[in-house]
Amino acid sequence: MSYSASRLRTLSITLIGCLIVAGCAASAKNSIFFGKTEPPRDNILRYVSGSEPETIDPQIPNAQNEARICLALYEGLAEYDPKTSEAIPALAERWEVNKDSSEFVFHLRHDGRFSNGDPITARDFVYTIRRGLTPETGSRTASFAYPIKYAQAFNESDVLVFDPATKIYLLEKDFEEGNSQTLAAMPLSSLPFKSIAEEYPVAPAGNSAMDTAFHQFMHSPARLVLPKSEKDRKKILDKNPKLNNAVAGKQFVPVKAEDVGVEAVDDYTLRISLSQPAPYFIGMMPHQFFRVLHQKTIEKFGPAWTDAANIVTSGPFKLESWKYYDRIVVTRNPMYWDAGNVKLDKIIFYLLAENTTMMSLYKAGELDATYNHTVPSAWLDVIGPLKDFMDAPEAAIDYYNFNTTKGPTADVRVRKALNMSLDKKALADWRHVKALTAMTPDGIFPGYPQPKGDPFDPEKAKRLLAEAGYRDGAGNFDPKKFDATEIELITNPDSNNLSYAEFILAQWKQNLGVTIQLRPMEAKTFFKAQSALDYKGVSRTGYAADYMDPYTFLSIFYTSTGSNGTGWWDPKYVALLDEANRTVDHQQRYQLLAQAEQLLLDAQPVIPLTVGATRSLKKPYLKGFYPNPAMLHPWKFAYIERDQSKWDYGMPSMSN
Amino acid sequence: MLRFIIRRVIVIVPMLFIIVSLTWVLVRLAPGNFYSGEKKLAPAVEKNLREKYGLDKPWYVQYGKVLKNIGRFDFGNSLKYEGQSVNQILLRGLPVSATLGITAYLIALLVGITMGTLAALKPNSWLDYASMTLAMLGISIPNFVLGPLLVLLFSLTLFWFPPALWNGFPSKSLVLPALTLSAIYIAYIARLTRSGMLEVMGSDYIRTARAKGLSERQVVTRHALRGGLLPVVSFSGPALAFLITGTVVVERVFALPGLGNYFINACFNRDEPLIIGIVAFIAISVLVFNLLVDISYAFIDPRIRY
Repeated sequence: MSYSASRLRTLSITLIGCLIVAGCAASAKNSIFFGKTEPPRDNILRYVSGSEPETIDPQIPNAQNEARICLALYEGLAEYDPKTSEAIPALAERWEVNKDSSEFVFHLRHDGRFSNGDPITARDFVYTIRRGLTPETGSRTASFAYPIKYAQAFNESDVLVFDPATKIYLLEKDFEEGNSQTLAAMPLSSLPFKSIAEEYPVAPAGNSAMDTAFHQFMHSPARLVLPKSEKDRKKILDKNPKLNNAVAGKQFVPVKAEDVGVEAVDDYTLRISLSQPAPYFIGMMPHQFFRVLHQKTIEKFGPAWTDAANIVTSGPFKLESWKYYDRIVVTRNPMYWDAGNVKLDKIIFYLLAENTTMMSLYKAGELDATYNHTVPSAWLDVIGPLKDFMDAPEAAIDYYNFNTTKGPTADVRVRKALNMSLDKKALADWRHVKALTAMTPDGIFPGYPQPKGDPFDPEKAKRLLAEAGYRDGAGNFDPKKFDATEIELITNPDSNNLSYAEFILAQWKQNLGVTIQLRPMEAKTFFKAQSALDYKGVSRTGYAADYMDPYTFLSIFYTSTGSNGTGWWDPKYVALLDEANRTVDHQQRYQLLAQAEQLLLDAQPVIPLTVGATRSLKKPYLKGFYPNPAMLHPWKFAYIERDQSKWDYGMPSMSN
Repeated sequence: MLRFIIRRVIVIVPMLFIIVSLTWVLVRLAPGNFYSGEKKLAPAVEKNLREKYGLDKPWYVQYGKVLKNIGRFDFGNSLKYEGQSVNQILLRGLPVSATLGITAYLIALLVGITMGTLAALKPNSWLDYASMTLAMLGISIPNFVLGPLLVLLFSLTLFWFPPALWNGFPSKSLVLPALTLSAIYIAYIARLTRSGMLEVMGSDYIRTARAKGLSERQVVTRHALRGGLLPVVSFSGPALAFLITGTVVVERVFALPGLGNYFINACFNRDEPLIIGIVAFIAISVLVFNLLVDISYAFIDPRIRY
């Protein structure tokens, strides 16, 4: 018995030894890079796009794994800058913005073509945006277009109120909520549709053709919009007697696609009118929702239009094949207007999401780059120092939500204390990332006067908790008085969430002496609990920018629903954001946004933790591909460099 | 025999009904939805989605639709994957899983039976100890450990086989997943063969066969194996069903486009039609393979009659 046991031990030690020696020998060859650095024979990029895409219809899904592929297949008015992720001209050569950022005129290039040769005109963009907003399309990202006039109403299947006798639509301004007292006495605006131009003359400087009837309609006062369902409508009417009276005997007319504020002024001029100023709107244009689609193909094939046999695309690449759960291959689109500058012949997207599998494929030289957060934490010690490790700051934040509606965390002093007793610097250093001190990531938006949240101060935290009632006879903070069962930390167990949580709980234990329980939950269960505020105390969350503007992060708390998840909502905060977006001067707008952010930080519905980091790999021979803040790559710029002297030995320069 | 088969086939129907209903209830009990995620949807967007996929209908209407679909062997459309039917997905994943499963199954039978027989013929010899140690290792090392270990050795150090991805049959990329998958089955089959053979080798009819003067080789292959393999047969029927219908861990580790990978993702995605489709498919396969096993008993062991 002892004989065989020792034999087995010898055997296993030898085996492990062999593995280590072999491993060292393999890595010694290329110690500055992770694995093989042999460029692929052909001009083919092999990338990994994440889990199987729900569809490659760009308007339906809302996740990055689809976006990575859609960026190759479709193009919009604007494209992401490969380094900064800001909007750069694409199918629109240039654009004009009106004074308060509520109307955008895009001038399209005349040589834009779909992959079947059809020209791309302003009408295709009108179709695309209307189609994305059509309720039956089921777009997850339709709310991206909500700044456009009547877009939300159309997507929500709302109705307008029409008086058949006078041919007048009721107007929103006559019934504004909160003002109903003063407005109640005022007569209704009596503007027949035909005479709008008289009251709201839009002076089109020198170009009267631009001032179409539709344009006048867009600039006439907003029509009143009510829910289609009678039950929901009744709730609103009951609250507003004036409205209730006005609606009697009127017709309810559904909001139509034609009402949405997108207009093809001519073949190559597209005008988008918003319902309120949105200076960040241009930044949204590269989003896949706004990438142009081919109307005839979609109408002919229905949901099967994305099949390789049917699909017509507008981007630098077209679909060659889609092997489900395996790979999507896209190939150069010769009809693309800038085809001469597209350097890759093909891109292979492997449809997999296992980080360790990706690392193996990358090391074995079967992959040329990976997407963000793919290097597992446990591997950072090995991969971190290597020259092909890409670790730039990302326009993404990790933070914790407080449930501000119940329990001890309803008290702002408790929230502040829990925030102040965390050493975020230590957390950030441990994870090799930057600490997040506010609601917006530091260093992503140049010129933004970002406010700072409370610094690490455990003593002040204890004083705050003592003030909040958790104190002994002498008035000092007493951890025993703090009922830790009233608070728990919930998280989905994905990726690094659990180790983050353990670090933070240990900090609270160490700095405050309170033991808070960790409750991991399966992802979907967790998301539901969080958005329904069905949790005690603290829940993990994060947010990746939808466009490059601080507003993308601040708008999380614009409504009390959606991604909010804290129960905190303040009309003063919303008013500040609205005022900021109405402000024409860029720097002044930033000031107002920063004021709003300060208000948010004072209320402390969240604990900011860390700024995202790209944490990905890229072979040195892959050029024109950068760890940009959105980690979305416009593929036309990427190429394989065979001259070793031009390779990237480290992070490529990110400045333009 | 025929009556037995008919009776067993009829039993499949209520079994399937129970399995599908249970699955449906469990999917419904799980919180979250196919569209819920880190980024929350606007309320109107969510409402549009619920209408589009009929989730706003009462539960009995939705349940009735599920049953009607199963009755026609058409599992409807996936919720997660726009415009793809569950049947399409099953037909796509099955060949991959089946290729991998059958390869692993054949390796397991060949290696397992050989190892088990050798061990049984010379009990307590070094051969016996060696095969049983290997079998023990095969049972105790889970495949999510074995897979990456094989990858580390054969793809990242020796660069012999690719570490993942699917390149059809036959290809180098099949080697590591098939080996990983077969390890535990080799182990079980070896142990089952050994104990089955040991029992049979001591039985009366083997003594009779020897007494008739047959060579040891003939005794083993003609008489002992037939009886000794019965436990292996009853094990390998359902095992084959599970191997063919997808193996979650191995397909994930090696990123193979098989049913197991679809299944696990369908659960995470709350893709109800796809979950029910795959469960029903696996259930039917297991029931059918069990039936086949029972039928094959009659041919292998002359003592069994239906």
